Amino acid sequence: MASDKLRVDALVVGGGIAGMQSALDLADQGYQVALVEKEASIGGKMIALSKVFPTLDCCSCITTPKMSAVAHHRNIHLLTYCEVQSIRENGGGFVAQVLKKPRYVNEDLCTGCRQCEYACPIDLPDPFDRGYGAHRAIRVPFSTAVPQIAVLDIENCLLCGKCEQVCPVSAVDFTQTPQQLEIEAGSIVLATGYEVTPRDAKKEYGGGKLPNVIDALFMERLLAPTGPYGHVLRPGDGKEPESIAYVQCAGSRDQTLGVPYCSRVCCMYAIKQAMLISGALPLADVTIYYMDIRTFGKGYEQFYQNAKAMGIEFVKGKVARITEDENQNPIVRVELIDEGSRVVERTHDLVVLSVGMLPRYNPQPLYGVPVADDGFVEVPSPNISPCVTDRPGIFVTGTAAGPMDIVDSIMTAGAAASEAAAYLRARKSASSVSTTTGKERELVYA
Amino acid sequence: MSHRLDPNLLLELKKYGDVNVEACFNCGNCTAVCPLSTEDESFPRRMIRCVQVGMRDELLGSKELWTCYYCGECSETCPRQAEPGEFMAAARRYAIANYDRLGLAKMLYTSPALSLIFLALVAVFLAAFMYTQHGPMNTTSLALFQFIPDELIHNLGVAAMVFIGLVGLMGTVNMVLQIARADGLTKAAIAGNSGIRLNWFEALWDTLGVEVLGQTRYRRECETAEERPPWYLQKWFIHASTMWGFMGLLLATALDWFLALLGIKPTGTWVPIWYPVRLLGTIAGLFLVYGTSVAIIKRLLKTDKTSSHSITSDWVFLGLLWLSGVSGFVLEVAIYLPRASSWGYWVLLFHVSVAMELILLAPFTKFAHAIYRTVALYVHSLKPMATVELARPAGAD
Repeated sequence: MASDKLRVDALVVGGGIAGMQSALDLADQGYQVALVEKEASIGGKMIALSKVFPTLDCCSCITTPKMSAVAHHRNIHLLTYCEVQSIRENGGGFVAQVLKKPRYVNEDLCTGCRQCEYACPIDLPDPFDRGYGAHRAIRVPFSTAVPQIAVLDIENCLLCGKCEQVCPVSAVDFTQTPQQLEIEAGSIVLATGYEVTPRDAKKEYGGGKLPNVIDALFMERLLAPTGPYGHVLRPGDGKEPESIAYVQCAGSRDQTLGVPYCSRVCCMYAIKQAMLISGALPLADVTIYYMDIRTFGKGYEQFYQNAKAMGIEFVKGKVARITEDENQNPIVRVELIDEGSRVVERTHDLVVLSVGMLPRYNPQPLYGVPVADDGFVEVPSPNISPCVTDRPGIFVTGTAAGPMDIVDSIMTAGAAASEAAAYLRARKSASSVSTTTGKERELVYA
Repeated sequence: MSHRLDPNLLLELKKYGDVNVEACFNCGNCTAVCPLSTEDESFPRRMIRCVQVGMRDELLGSKELWTCYYCGECSETCPRQAEPGEFMAAARRYAIANYDRLGLAKMLYTSPALSLIFLALVAVFLAAFMYTQHGPMNTTSLALFQFIPDELIHNLGVAAMVFIGLVGLMGTVNMVLQIARADGLTKAAIAGNSGIRLNWFEALWDTLGVEVLGQTRYRRECETAEERPPWYLQKWFIHASTMWGFMGLLLATALDWFLALLGIKPTGTWVPIWYPVRLLGTIAGLFLVYGTSVAIIKRLLKTDKTSSHSITSDWVFLGLLWLSGVSGFVLEVAIYLPRASSWGYWVLLFHVSVAMELILLAPFTKFAHAIYRTVALYVHSLKPMATVELARPAGAD
């Protein structure tokens, strides 16, 4: 495994789609990159999705190759299950103190055979399936995880030792301790991603207590081939839903939640999921309650029109309240704005909240990079340099900078890589000038 | 159907309250969250839309303005924090000002300083007028109506009632015509059509019994706090307490007058506290003072959305009610004190002036809601009776 000290050109923080793409774009240009991911696998939110809009490509099929490319790239040092703890400046570059969390599994030995997982007696809610599926206390994070190395949740472990007994390579190691790692980097790319609106954020929507009101990320899992039930079923009682409603802007454009902005992806993912449901449950009725449909990207409007033509019902009106009947069928209360402003209560089998994007990480304390009023990383010149932060040498990509879809995340990933590369080049030429004046600085390049 | 649009409507409405509906993006949350909105009654969004596009006649012809009790749920949950509840309150003030063709209501609502000066002048004038007619202050016993003759008070009261009756009728006719126009009804339809019978009496009971006196929907639907407070702190009870109190006092005064007219008990005769009319007055007074006191405290502390926007007219209305009630009690204390105190006479003058002003200005102040809301709810309850045969073809007989 990696030594205690690592010298690279660029440190990429976050192994979601934006971070992976930035790392690949830099590494392909010959720069040495360290990619730090706090989870045990890279892939971020995207690897958990079912399909992408507007092409309906399978998400696993296009994310997994990226993950493998990152893991096998000769210029990328992949550091999973690691967290940056401090950053200091050092001669124009940065030195990051990184904490390597103990997996309790020897990474050099583990082959990902999952014998430990099969032997483990503990079942825990699986965050990969939004808590609806289960995983063992020791497990490979998910089937397409990269790297394929098991990780043990020591908090919930009984220390029964079954995994240790069955491991064919004796990789389980209960004595592992956290390790410190120092990374010197010429520049940093922040790709720390987003969080979705918590399911219990809005008390009018049941405050997270209605079993058949789910968020859209869980619907992604229901629709994914690797999902927890293998089929679209509602979690309350396992019934196959015949009537599914989408509540748009359930967390965006809502000042009562402190989120005045549009999350930009919810219209499209709701339409996409509605289409996929039409495939998975051909007899189900799908209704999308919306305030405005915003399909702004290339091919998006056509996607929306296709959905309408498929028979998906679009109803203008913000759902004000969700309750449930005695069979736990959710009831939405809404003003039918386009139908005489009537207020109606409609019962569905399953309601999906089109939750919004929230900032998940504030880099101000560690990286000295300010965030804007909305909590996302502040970009001083969003129009001409959308990836350049307030601090020279630190760049931002993907949803760390604000709500955006996968298409835009990939684009800003390339942009951030370009900005970082240009910055590194400029620094290199500056340092070669300074060599002549006797103020040589040690820099390591590929 | 053609519509006349007034682009200044929103600006005009802003003079009547803390209106922020330009922020509204018409999502319909307010309408759907409202416990009183139904398939047929849809508010507040439609009214907000009317104001945004300048449809004055449709706004003033909306009986839905008066079905809202301002529980504040819409303002609480509005994604744009556009305060639809306060908008409805402002729209009602605007409607009152428009139904009143004298322009007095408009002045009282839109110019706080002027309205306070006006109110002070009216009170001083009433007091001065009554003082000019005053008799001796009996120092051995508190003979209030020797000081201010009860005849004078009664006659002034009757005159005030006639005045507000006429002004109220004028406003009511204006309102009904506005509603009818917005609903596309002809005058013949309002006056009654031999072919259509309406549920006149049932609607009257629905309005006065169930809705006004019973406060049924207010009580059942409009308490929005997550944990219902005890009944004596619920919104409907604070309102009902004030209303019942005021009506009880009005009734007690009227009964007292009738007793005098019938020669049973001349006004001003000393009676013990348990004397029925006096008891009614005392209990009603307690209700009035309780309701207004809590309402004032809630507005001062801004405890919820309902009480967080207060304009001069709110304070004036509550203030006059509270002063009438409290001064009435001080008067009662003076009556039952063992010895006559000269301050009792001044309290009487104050009490009568304030109460008179409250009644006299009712059609122009927030008090007017008592008239307009009731009439609007009545119109709202009117429906063709189910049993009548509608639209019998001509010449069928």
